Amino acid sequence: MLLAVVQPWPEGKQPTDSALMERILQRDSTALETLYDRYGRPVYSLVLRIAQHPSSAEEIVQDVFLQVWRRADRFQAARGPLEPWLFTMARNRALDHLRLKREKQRRREDPDSEIFPIAVVHPDPEGEIDRSRRAEKVRALMRSLPEAQRRAIELAFFEGMSHSEIAASMGEALGTVKSWIRGGLLKLRKSLGEAT
Amino acid sequence: MNCEQLAPLYEEYALGVLEGEERAELEAHLSRACVNCAPGVTRARLTVAQLAHAVPDAQPSEALRAKIMTAAKASDDASRTVAPIAKPKPAAPRPMFPAWAWAAAAALALITGYTIRQMSNQTAQLAELRKEMKIATAQNQALQSQVEMIHMVSSVMLSPDSMPLKLMPKDKNMPMVHAYLHPHMGVAITADQMPAMPSARTLQLWFVPKAGKPMSVAIFRPDTTGQIALVAPVNMAVNEIAALAVTEEPAGGSPQPTSAIAWMAQVN
Repeated sequence: MLLAVVQPWPEGKQPTDSALMERILQRDSTALETLYDRYGRPVYSLVLRIAQHPSSAEEIVQDVFLQVWRRADRFQAARGPLEPWLFTMARNRALDHLRLKREKQRRREDPDSEIFPIAVVHPDPEGEIDRSRRAEKVRALMRSLPEAQRRAIELAFFEGMSHSEIAASMGEALGTVKSWIRGGLLKLRKSLGEAT
Repeated sequence: MNCEQLAPLYEEYALGVLEGEERAELEAHLSRACVNCAPGVTRARLTVAQLAHAVPDAQPSEALRAKIMTAAKASDDASRTVAPIAKPKPAAPRPMFPAWAWAAAAALALITGYTIRQMSNQTAQLAELRKEMKIATAQNQALQSQVEMIHMVSSVMLSPDSMPLKLMPKDKNMPMVHAYLHPHMGVAITADQMPAMPSARTLQLWFVPKAGKPMSVAIFRPDTTGQIALVAPVNMAVNEIAALAVTEEPAGGSPQPTSAIAWMAQVN
């Protein structure tokens, strides 16, 4: 396959996500580097939260960005921005990993045999200055939720549990869990709708 | 349920928590590309994905960036081909010259001849290397396809929306075939210790609908180790499928089953 001739970025201009994906389709590896520099950290943070183990998280992140490189054609800018597409891919892969790990533990009939250390993360209250307005909205919303409601949403998003699994895990009625999650997500939708 | 009743459930569906009747109702709308629910769920996926920001910030190792770039380069190298090197043109004949010029010309001719022979040898070696690289590329692509297939099968198997099924063999000496039916990702089929099949025969997977004729889904054969792993698209609503069935057919498959059902699982 011949490499396409690629024009360099104009001086001082940061490429948009769509432009980066176009460059990746043309096999420009600097575009992949830029994409990783832009999203590597938040993607890793998400995956680590789910996988709970730094080396597994790094493998999953590597897999995600390799998939971006190989299948950039799967991203359709008309369907929405790149960031949620990346986060969804990363979350799905991380949840697959988590389920496979749990299945293996179940088969060994020793569910507590492996304790995966949670990666040490350094509180970074100043780091919020660098976050986008949308990220701030999400965090503020999550902080504003009652603890049980926040926990229910976290179990769904970070552990891939269904309504009934969350209800069983929290020892709550199914209807209660449904209304927590539904209410929390509607608040999120409204909050992000106001942010855009 | 109508679209208005389903709209509050879009985010829960995108989150993966929706179950039972509510999920089935929404998926029925999505399967017919509902003009309200399909874009609604797409928007909901964008919203739900923002929950990714609600995590503590963490920094991957410095080495991860280089690993990703190395893997990307390796992925491309497997499909890159070497451009052929043009053969050098032979030297043009020279006009009459003094003796020393003849000697120089003779020496030059010798060197040129030697160089041409060397380059011919190298060109032949390059051709051989290109042939080996093509074989290695094909093998690598086959391996990559296998890895991708395993990943696809795993994704379907592990999705909370997949329905696990056991296709029981009619012949009790045969192993069970496992299926995982997902309304959008497809149906994954796995099996171990399957006996080898004659080259003129194949296995064929069917959806048996509640009404109408069986619909062919996939044709497949066990590999050399007796394993089966594949994902096939689901081209009908899951709630309309009565059963999954496997029959043995002539190579290339049949429009309708021509032999007795060899494996079967009830779906609805």
